[in-house]
Amino acid sequence: MRLQLASAIGVGAIVALIGTAHADGTVSVRGVYYKERATRVVQPMLDGSFEVGTRGLVVAHFLVDAITSASASSGAADATPFTEKRYEGGASYTHDLDNLRVSGEAKYSTESDYISMFGGLRGELDLAQKNTVLGVGFGVSRDSISAGSAQGLATPMIECTTGMSAAQCPLTATSMFLSASQILSPNAIAGFTYDISGLKGYQANPYRSALADDGFAAERHPNWRLRQAVAASLRYYWPRSQTTFIGAYRFYRDNWEVNAHTPELRIVQAVGRTADASIRYRYHTQDKAVFYRDRYTTTDISVNRYLSDDVKLDDFTNHLFQAKLGILGEAFGMSGRWAGARFEGILEYVRQHNRFGNAIIAHVALTVPFEY
Amino acid sequence: MWPRSTRDMVCASVRYLTTLVMLMAISASGCVVVKAHQRGNLAKRAMTNDRDPGEARFGQHATGSREGADGGTGQPGGGCGCN
Repeated sequence: MRLQLASAIGVGAIVALIGTAHADGTVSVRGVYYKERATRVVQPMLDGSFEVGTRGLVVAHFLVDAITSASASSGAADATPFTEKRYEGGASYTHDLDNLRVSGEAKYSTESDYISMFGGLRGELDLAQKNTVLGVGFGVSRDSISAGSAQGLATPMIECTTGMSAAQCPLTATSMFLSASQILSPNAIAGFTYDISGLKGYQANPYRSALADDGFAAERHPNWRLRQAVAASLRYYWPRSQTTFIGAYRFYRDNWEVNAHTPELRIVQAVGRTADASIRYRYHTQDKAVFYRDRYTTTDISVNRYLSDDVKLDDFTNHLFQAKLGILGEAFGMSGRWAGARFEGILEYVRQHNRFGNAIIAHVALTVPFEY
Repeated sequence: MWPRSTRDMVCASVRYLTTLVMLMAISASGCVVVKAHQRGNLAKRAMTNDRDPGEARFGQHATGSREGADGGTGQPGGGCGCN
């Protein structure tokens, strides 16, 4: 209720601002539909960005995740589908100090079995006449996990650490990233990022049980995970055909011995001044975690300290195919602020080689620029 | 059956990163400086950010809940048994 009130006040403030002052901003509404074998997600979201004075920028968002799932890992009993909602709101402020930009960000997400709070700071420094941009960021999130979505008679207790059970377990994640981008020519730019995060606390799923020769037992994951990733990208614009080629690659490793490679290619074709179409292909492959087994020999903790039924910790590959179309209002003969409004549609197909099954994702979005 | 040592991981990463930063510094020093008036093509939408915040945020949350190689994006957990 509090979030709905905050959202209403936010939308009211946007509408009020549109009529009065002299700065630029955008408001974007987007709806996403996600469907796979046992899970369906509908996510409406609202994003806004607003200039504050000559050097400030406020960006905010609010979204609702409506998740319908028959998956036991979501808390469904006897594969009977049920629906739960997740609410998320966030805002950031960026201040421009000539060659340096600093920003702060806060985010809050709540649902019946998971509450997450995140705070972060970041800075960007321009060098060599803005040909080189270096960035650094730091963030902390504090999550609280329960089995509140369990569809049985009572909310079960969960084992936060070995031998210590509670209704809610904490998880703290501390993250940092470094980034660099370099202009290579009037038509090419390269980017690089490194990120590291340490997660301490409950990291299993309260609804899942691992299978062993002597029966089932609740998941037991390590309480410490150190995740690192490096990513590089290259963007090249070919003026003759107004085509942009974007290539990216990400390598990930963590102390649970999951290693992953994720290359990606996007091609964006401008269609006149008012439209663009793009295609995207992303490939993901990963190893399994050192303690993951499809079936364990025993649930005895002295033999198998950790147990997992998390398919994300198994080795698998997936392929993502995307097609996107963006059209400005001007193409439809609109004028004023609506001439610059952007209509967008996205279709994605994800071929997942694991028990999640394949997924279809669709987006529709409208972004409207305004002055106030 | 035991997870990889945190200390070993961090030490290896520092070595890789130091090498990478040195290589980047050497390669960046050889780059031409592109003046502001030459950056018309670099300012195009596809060359700056071809993905809206909402698209990128949903993508990060979806891959975070379906792949084991998430992290560093500041996205909240939860949703459809994502932990």
